[in-house]
Amino acid sequence: MAPAATSQVLLSPAELSFLHSSLLLQPPVRPDGRAPNQFRPLVAETDILPGANGSARICFPDGTEAIVGIKAEVEKSQWRANLSEDGAHLGTGGGDVEMEEDGGKPQEEASSHGNGEMSWIELSIEIPGFRDDDPLPIFLAAMLSEGLLAGEELKDRLWINRRFHWKLYIDILLLSPPLSYPLPLLSLTTHLALLSSRIPKLKSEQDEDPLFDDDWEASLYLYPKLPTGKRIDRPPITLLVMAVGSNIIFDPSKEELAVAEAVLAVSVRESQRRENDTSGRRLNLLSIRSVDSPSRLTPSGVPNTMNTATGGSAPVSSQDAVAQRESIDQKGVWNPPRGGVKRALITRIIKLVLEPNGVAQEVMDGLNGVEV
Amino acid sequence: MPLDTSTYALSLLRLDGRRWNELRRIHAQISTQAAADGSAYLEMGNTKVICTVSGPSEGRRGQGQGGEGGKARIEVEVNLAGFAGVERKKRARGDRRIAELQHTLTQAYTSTLLTHLYPHSTILITLHILSLDGSLLAATLNAATLALIDAGIPMSNYLVACTAGSTSFEESDNADPLLDLNGQEEQELPFVTVGILGDGDKVSVLVMESRVQMSRLETMLVVAVDGCKRVREILDGVVREHGRNMVEGAVG
Amino acid sequence: MTDRRRINGPPSGTQTPIFASTLKQTPTVRLSPPTRTREPTELRKIFLKTGLVPSSSGSAYLELQHSSQLTSLKITCTAHGPRPLPRSAPFSPQLVLSTTVKFAPFASRVRRGYVRDSAERDLAVHLETALRGVVLGDRWPKSGCDVVVTVLEGEEDAWWGDVAGARERGEGWGLMCVLAGCITVASAAIMDAGIDCVDLITGGVAAVVEEGGGKRGEVMVLDPCPAEHRNVLAACVVGYLASRDEITEVWMKGNASAAISAEELIEKAVGAAAATKAVLEEAIKEAAFVKFPELAKSRGGLNDIDMNG
Repeated sequence: MAPAATSQVLLSPAELSFLHSSLLLQPPVRPDGRAPNQFRPLVAETDILPGANGSARICFPDGTEAIVGIKAEVEKSQWRANLSEDGAHLGTGGGDVEMEEDGGKPQEEASSHGNGEMSWIELSIEIPGFRDDDPLPIFLAAMLSEGLLAGEELKDRLWINRRFHWKLYIDILLLSPPLSYPLPLLSLTTHLALLSSRIPKLKSEQDEDPLFDDDWEASLYLYPKLPTGKRIDRPPITLLVMAVGSNIIFDPSKEELAVAEAVLAVSVRESQRRENDTSGRRLNLLSIRSVDSPSRLTPSGVPNTMNTATGGSAPVSSQDAVAQRESIDQKGVWNPPRGGVKRALITRIIKLVLEPNGVAQEVMDGLNGVEV
Repeated sequence: MPLDTSTYALSLLRLDGRRWNELRRIHAQISTQAAADGSAYLEMGNTKVICTVSGPSEGRRGQGQGGEGGKARIEVEVNLAGFAGVERKKRARGDRRIAELQHTLTQAYTSTLLTHLYPHSTILITLHILSLDGSLLAATLNAATLALIDAGIPMSNYLVACTAGSTSFEESDNADPLLDLNGQEEQELPFVTVGILGDGDKVSVLVMESRVQMSRLETMLVVAVDGCKRVREILDGVVREHGRNMVEGAVG
Repeated sequence: MTDRRRINGPPSGTQTPIFASTLKQTPTVRLSPPTRTREPTELRKIFLKTGLVPSSSGSAYLELQHSSQLTSLKITCTAHGPRPLPRSAPFSPQLVLSTTVKFAPFASRVRRGYVRDSAERDLAVHLETALRGVVLGDRWPKSGCDVVVTVLEGEEDAWWGDVAGARERGEGWGLMCVLAGCITVASAAIMDAGIDCVDLITGGVAAVVEEGGGKRGEVMVLDPCPAEHRNVLAACVVGYLASRDEITEVWMKGNASAAISAEELIEKAVGAAAATKAVLEEAIKEAAFVKFPELAKSRGGLNDIDMNG
């Protein structure tokens, strides 16, 4: 298998070494002059497609652009034993407790709580130049859906009644070739599209065939708005974080990724808050995944001692070459990183992401500013 | 769902309130994406298309690397988004309808662009259809033309396209031609897509897939060509506006 | 993507529903879910052996202790390489590692097709990330190595008899256990193939589970078997390099609550991985003694075959 297009970086070992050492400085010097926790500016708009339930478009200044369209369709639910009449189900652990919970309520008030299913949300990603079953789109789709499916809230909102439910199709299109690792772009666009998603208001009652209000003005947001205009909760976002030495850098560009020692994708969500709660919001960690760093595929530099052109001596055998390469510890000679990350570094990354007024919070607030 | 065309005869207004020779709202933008060599966004009513052009560049390896005979090769990729239609539908790659659309576009631009200026290179036109409501081929052609202009690829003139239809299949005499059909009308009525080069009467693309009275074709063609000329004026306006902005931006 | 070339059986077995109300006496079917009998920090016993497939450069087989009624993990892995890249491939300064994870059609209760699905491809990406960090790729420019993992018996996502569990199918907790197994077995196969590595990598899983019964206590367990627990809240897999104390792969998901932090979960997963290392070391030592009998006579030490990076 040839290396994926995103992992190919056209930088020489010398350039990589320069980039690496400038990112190692305290504070790190990034090629585009950003602070370590600063995101790239972006242009965003929502509700761009009248034919979709929700949509959003985000452009990064490097020209990468993504569009997300969300469609909801009514689907017949699969019949489940434990959703049928009282006591007619096999007494299994899960079923029992559920019945205890709404034991006092009359049967009609069957709530949507806990009835959501994983399969009600379908997410697909299209990246130009990649097939649907290439590792990159699959990895990205798995990562993004992991965050969305982590909580019960979204799934439960898709429940209409015992017989029907909404099926949510999230189609993510990357319009430009992936110049940088597209994860943050796709995640933020999906976030905005979900925020703008609306589903028609239900007019029928209980287990009737669902009938909806024709008036689009009356439709409900998938992530409901409070009268104050605030949301009860918001979709998750996934951030890309990389580490060089002990420096932690957010939203890395393609060049920065080429020298990363570790790359992590972290999904977070604001925890649900009550109606009158205006106090500080807490962030919940939903998932962490390590991303294969393209730096491991970069060519290593040749030190002067091994280069005949600069007065060194070329190794005579491959064993010799290995021995010489292992023994060099020269600054300015690029060696692709080996091994993994220390646990403490991962802990620090998590802390940086989650801390109040930390990066995730800042990104969320920034997205709040987008008119939905 | 049959289209109720009976009201047309009475009021001479179509379902969406247009008259027979009225175009839908056309909105276009060029240079929408910084990463592409050329890009454009075009709306024809509710049909929305984004087009990006990359090239002329060295072609992908192993595919002949550019065209034969000292000419550039044109490649077209059409991507119909899952959320474009009324119902969510994911089309497999290599869908016949998409493949045909790609072929038509490739043919059209291979003859329109001055490909001999770029030997051994490839021009890739990527089209994303975000919303679909009739006149798909016409919208893609118009969007691609704008994106190619933005990419600065020389062509002899604007290649603009438009659809025209006829109000009924039947052999009655009182059938009117219609300009720029929307999705609903397209499903029900015979229509033809015409692409012309510049403001002359040179037809360079003509696609018709429905059955229609021979005698009506002439009128439909005339109406479509007329529509194309109006589309050309709109697109020309967009290009000139963009050019003016660029010049002003460069000066001050 | 469905497999259209072959005639496939139904994706899962079908059974007529049995209603509890119609049953005269207690059915012979066991209705109570299995429970964990191990200590929270106790791992299942691991069987690991290398060099089972003579036609490959390196191979390994891993099996986890079997408990009643439940499937246990059985994974084989073969490594092919290092070998030259095909002529058409572009130049690569590093060893090109490609990983494939495939469940056998009979590996899970619901039959899997022959075409790899997205979950399998996703696992392969995880595995590649884990291995890329340990392999000294720059010693083999212009070459490739294929690591092929076949899961003969997978871990279940939930107890099969649990309707509530069936509904939650797709959470993929079982996949995380499979990944940990894949990392360990692939590590053994790579060692067997003689590819230089910076360290031995092992996989470990830890999970926060909700214990059944009235109390909803959250308990942290190592090496969870998802079918034994009523609800898994969060889980974490790591690929851990014990002697360097580094992590090349971390995959955590779920709602780690305030009581149990993500850091703690990672810490526990590392603990599980570190415990697995002893087994991996033993298996490699055993293989080395078979390959080099004089080594067994002179010293029983592992230092001789340790790759130092």
